[in-house]
Amino acid sequence: MTELQYQGHLHQLQKQLMANYYAALTASAEGSGEPAAYLLIGGNPVELLRAFDILPVFPEVNALQLAVKKQSLPHIQAAEFMGYSSDNCAYVKADIGQYFAGRKTPFATIPEPSLLLCNYVGCNVYLDWFGHLSEYSGCPAFQLDIPFIRSKSGFPSKDDVDYVMRQLQRLIERCEEITGRQLDEDRLRECVRLSSLTGELWSKIKHLTKHTPAPYDAYFDSVTMMAPLYCLRGTPEGLVFFETAYAEMAERVAANRGPLETERFRYVIEGPPPWPHLRTFRDMFSRWNAVAVASTYSTVGGLWEFGFRHDPDHPLESIACHLLEWNLTNRNFLQRYEQIERYLDEWHASALIIHSVKSCRLFSAGQGDMREYFTKLGVPTLLIESDLEDPRYFSEAQMRTRIDAFFESLGHRALVQEASA
Amino acid sequence: MKYFAGVDVGSTQAKCIIVDEQRTISARALVETGANVARAADRCFAAALEAGGIARESIACAVGTGYGRFKVSFGDLQITEITCHAKGASLLFPQTRTVIDMGGQDAKAISVRDGEVVDFVMNDKCAAGTGRFLSTAAETLGLGLEEIGEISLRARNPVRLSTVCTVFVESDIMAYVAQGKKIEDILGGIHSAIAARTIALVRRVGLEPQFTFTGGVSLNVGMVKMMEEKLGQPLNVSADSHYMGAIGAALFASEHALVPAGN
Ligand code: SF4
Repeated sequence: MTELQYQGHLHQLQKQLMANYYAALTASAEGSGEPAAYLLIGGNPVELLRAFDILPVFPEVNALQLAVKKQSLPHIQAAEFMGYSSDNCAYVKADIGQYFAGRKTPFATIPEPSLLLCNYVGCNVYLDWFGHLSEYSGCPAFQLDIPFIRSKSGFPSKDDVDYVMRQLQRLIERCEEITGRQLDEDRLRECVRLSSLTGELWSKIKHLTKHTPAPYDAYFDSVTMMAPLYCLRGTPEGLVFFETAYAEMAERVAANRGPLETERFRYVIEGPPPWPHLRTFRDMFSRWNAVAVASTYSTVGGLWEFGFRHDPDHPLESIACHLLEWNLTNRNFLQRYEQIERYLDEWHASALIIHSVKSCRLFSAGQGDMREYFTKLGVPTLLIESDLEDPRYFSEAQMRTRIDAFFESLGHRALVQEASA
Repeated sequence: MKYFAGVDVGSTQAKCIIVDEQRTISARALVETGANVARAADRCFAAALEAGGIARESIACAVGTGYGRFKVSFGDLQITEITCHAKGASLLFPQTRTVIDMGGQDAKAISVRDGEVVDFVMNDKCAAGTGRFLSTAAETLGLGLEEIGEISLRARNPVRLSTVCTVFVESDIMAYVAQGKKIEDILGGIHSAIAARTIALVRRVGLEPQFTFTGGVSLNVGMVKMMEEKLGQPLNVSADSHYMGAIGAALFASEHALVPAGN
């Protein structure tokens, strides 16, 4: 097996656009750019910020970039030295560490926040994280309180939507204070329109992995597309990126090209990747010719493949619905099961991998039950554990043994099925 | 005559089994792994060849297993110890449905059908409730690892351990010694605590007889007895139980890779 060195136009464009984005962050940090708003990935309402020319900054994206570049540990340790516990989410620690290290990273200087927008979708750590940033930076935190999906139907109530829309109104007022200008409604509609087109393309891209072989890895390669999805959504460049991505992926489908030479196993994966060991982790699957055809992690920012689109005719309402209903983190557990079941079924996958993450108690809790649930359904399921940010919680030999043994038995199962067919 | 070798390079010991064309064990060898994993693999392979009086050239295929499987330089294939234990157990005990493997650093429960892995779980990174825990306990009491199982069988009032953590067990044991508790009762408590923890692990793949006990700890009679009591079921144990991974690897070598590793 050799992993095809997939470095299409899409990758170059991503690099270039993200470099521009980081240059904008640095300009903002140096006082010559747009004001910056920190916000979280879950259901991120970037359209509102873009309508005010406020630059979205995602501490989670910065933290994971640090981890990928193997720079997270010193920041984590600095935060632990300050008193953050070893059990705290390491995204928080890496972010706080870099904040006190002068906000200088290998990719950008992170600006001080003009707005700390805590879009609270599911993770209670968000509240404290932004609370602490508020204390350190002196910038007041703006809390967007998003009610969790509590109903079995999976829909928010009318009251939930109204409640969020009233808060979005107040957020608009805050943005008006920060920028000193009124909301331009046409501009907002335009940003939402761009988002809507972007979402449409992203959804189409995600449906392409139903094809055998999948044209890209829906976990490891989705990551390349997720940064522009959050950092550039609602901008013309963001849309161009997704047009390019879709064209390139569709071409690969037509040519029957996948990310590996051959596709032997198709799996669904739950949980974020171990960013500090991404390469090693990917190889553990590639050597088995195993391709992720769907991942729940790629829906933290939004769940477009099941039908959500922003609506330029109802901009605020669609932003509210994005926050409430159409992102992984605000959904209930039964919806998470249903999402995975649809992936297994409609994306023709034969196994589920659950990567449980020590940092993230909230979203890792319940994964033992998830494993039981899918095992009972007859889906071969593997639960592995490490961390998304802290490089110390990764035991390569153990991880490899679990993954190898899992694919060994899957391979055997396939042989038996073939023989009996 | 052709022979087939299985080399299981574990964290503490490296084991080699050589089988002939009839799948009969022709030679075995065991060495301490030490710091140089690749050397340990070579050493135990050479020792097994010598023990069986077998020429290196007559080994038609060798399979590496265990955490050091990628360090078996002469291996034709690498297969995880999980798959190999299942395979080996089914040769020795064909009715095996569950393999309980307790090695130096980890404990595993493997659910098996016809020699193939259906499901498995492992303990996490920590060494709680593994062979390492037992050797720490033995050291603390100034005993040899091979004697503690036997002694534990004499326990009348086993103590209750507050931890199965390898780091804290030492002080726990010292406290009981200071209280004047009998050595056998302390050891009884230790074996009971580990057995309970292991069975909790097994429960996650399902408690289906027959159970086959493998790995170094299966040589400990106290542990076998304690597990049997708690399970309410007999355990299959053989004198070769701790070679099970190597046996499985040798069988795979003889089948010339029914399930290839990697590609
Ligand atoms: S706890 Fe989980 S969801 Fe919350 S910030 Fe950390 S990684 Fe994100």
